[in-house]
Amino acid sequence: RIGGSVSSHALCYFSSRSSWLPQGVPLRGSHWQSSLLEFRTSLPVRAQPKKKKKVDVKKEQAQKERMKKRLKKLEKAAPELIPIEDFITPLKYSESNRVRSLPPLSPEESERRVLLLKKWCLFKQKQDEAEKKAIKALVECQQEALKELRLESEELYQAAIRRDEALFPFQRDGPTYTPPLPGYDPPEGKCIDITKVYTQ
Amino acid sequence: SAAAPRPWRLFGAMCLLRLPRITQPLEKEEEEMAALMEQIELEKSHYSDHEIRKLEEEEQLKRKKESLYDEDEARGKTVVMARDLEEKWEQKFLQFKAAPRITDADKSNDRTSLNRKLDSNLMLLVKQKIGNQELWLLPQAEWQPGETLRSTAERAMATFLGDHIQAKVLGNAPFGIYKYKFPRAIRTENNVGAKIFFFKAFLQSSDLSEAELKADYLWVTKKELGDYLKSEYLKKVNRFLLD
Repeated sequence: RIGGSVSSHALCYFSSRSSWLPQGVPLRGSHWQSSLLEFRTSLPVRAQPKKKKKVDVKKEQAQKERMKKRLKKLEKAAPELIPIEDFITPLKYSESNRVRSLPPLSPEESERRVLLLKKWCLFKQKQDEAEKKAIKALVECQQEALKELRLESEELYQAAIRRDEALFPFQRDGPTYTPPLPGYDPPEGKCIDITKVYTQ
Repeated sequence: SAAAPRPWRLFGAMCLLRLPRITQPLEKEEEEMAALMEQIELEKSHYSDHEIRKLEEEEQLKRKKESLYDEDEARGKTVVMARDLEEKWEQKFLQFKAAPRITDADKSNDRTSLNRKLDSNLMLLVKQKIGNQELWLLPQAEWQPGETLRSTAERAMATFLGDHIQAKVLGNAPFGIYKYKFPRAIRTENNVGAKIFFFKAFLQSSDLSEAELKADYLWVTKKELGDYLKSEYLKKVNRFLLD
């Protein structure tokens, strides 16, 4: 582009010096000029796409930054708390027709209940004390055994007080009311899980 | 130290427990309390959908009886009553027969069976020869240098029940000890008596069909131990058993 303009200036200068050219005829500045009347309207086509790319790149970068800013704003906002379904009573269960109609408690009944609760309190206390006593006795018995073992051999004692890594985690199914029925074939059925899963 | 002679011989014994499979029966206070808790829960509750349906159907029946016009039949619809559903469920429940809590082994008092006394702990007792006597004991083996006492106890268990026994030993430490001096006839300076260290394990496999090889064995509860064990030994064993 720069080369084209220099040459046009040079040619114009040259043409003004030469006397044999007619004065009224416009000159072509460069062979890039397609018509004699225009000047620098149809420039080399190669230059224009370069300009477009730069502007586009800038626009795209600006857009990306705007998106990033929006994302950051959203992330900064505190995450929505997941509702605990168990604590929300559905409204249909607080209707008045749902309230149970029972006869009021007689004084004898409330008296009986209070006495039963006191008996229960005592029962549980005795049970707990018995458990603690039993555990204490177990521990004492074990300490005695370890003492005797130490008297025998230090090496065996050290092996005995070492922690057993394979013991925990210890898992065991608890007792049921009736023992398992041998050869029982449970009925076929499909369990469809409808729990709602919330994502933050 | 390995070189010095030990005056006490060491044994490792294993107390193998089969844990309860069913719940123990409730005490009187526990039953009363359970009934009270259920009553209070009922009083504090609201009607469920099923109960509301039942109440509405009762009212409908009453209205049907008073007015002889039956709306539902007029519409040509058969209604399934909640009462009928409840009866159906009850019938289905009665058809199911659970396994009995008191098994045949209980009734016949077969003490070699593992299916007895499903609500309490059962312990393994074997008949072993000590000196010139055959005694009922928890399975024991003599300690050999190079192994820990726990592995002695496990070896004892394996000799009587086979290698494939699945038992969880509760830790490396012994639970109890029984020591006794040999009768004067065989007592020497280097051989005063024996110390038996007890270890506890929970039986995990319920199937022992391929086991129980050699000696006589029994599975007994803590209360029945007195029938088989000698008094001093029994006293020491009872100390580390919970029940």
